[in-house]
Amino acid sequence: MLLRPDGFRRLCRARDLLREVREPSPSIADLAREVQISPFHFIRQFEAVFGTTPHQFRIQTRLDLAKHLLAIGQHSVTEVCLEVGFTSLGSFSTLFTRRLGEAPSVYQRRVRSSAQVPGVLPAELTPGCFSLIGHLPAKAFGRPVRSFREA
Amino acid sequence: MRIKLTSIMVDDQDKALRFYTEVLGFKRKHDIPVGEYRWITVTSPEGPDDLELALEPNANPAGKTFQEAMFAQGIPLAVFEVADIAVEFARLRGKGVVFLRQPAQAGPVTLAVFADTCGNLIQLYQPS
Repeated sequence: MLLRPDGFRRLCRARDLLREVREPSPSIADLAREVQISPFHFIRQFEAVFGTTPHQFRIQTRLDLAKHLLAIGQHSVTEVCLEVGFTSLGSFSTLFTRRLGEAPSVYQRRVRSSAQVPGVLPAELTPGCFSLIGHLPAKAFGRPVRSFREA
Repeated sequence: MRIKLTSIMVDDQDKALRFYTEVLGFKRKHDIPVGEYRWITVTSPEGPDDLELALEPNANPAGKTFQEAMFAQGIPLAVFEVADIAVEFARLRGKGVVFLRQPAQAGPVTLAVFADTCGNLIQLYQPS
């Protein structure tokens, strides 16, 4: 598929809109209309460019934000649920648990129990991938890592 | 000092590994669980064998902001060299890859730009 510049801008705009929390939450068809793409083409193009459907993207965005708020804020699980755009605590908890393997309240207790420095994100939220190199076994790099003494 | 590793941020490591191996054709070199994420690197079958590309989770909000802004501005975050860009363009399009720019001459090279489904634009170029 070859996407023209205006089509690309519409998809980027749609991604921003999917991130917004509005009450009531607009349907995917509403958002397609807002960026002036037919619902069918919107879902097809969005998935081809971003590797996920608009609906799944919105759910993932909300869960990511929920994790963030549960980890750093002083909000209750119910407050976080509403803040990220869910209207039912039950469906929020079920979805969170299914995707992340633990209930929101369990996640919150686990992350907050680790020591936190004000203004610094908990390690759970920042993978810091390059630093992972240092934690890998030497065999991960194909040949033995030489010590400073050898070098 | 030599360049051994470079990385690209991806919004989903499973999806990225599938795209970078099954669609682009790179080889998985490392895939090691590290906490909630994985240390995943790929290499090109066309070499060099020991130069790795890490598929790095963009879970850091700052990384996500950067990645999305660059994407929306149409700026590729990685560039790969190909021997025949017309062949790659046809092959990748056949696999459903979305191009924002079809192969076109730009000075001494021919360029094309596609979306990697993980939040990045990638540029391909064929040297003349």
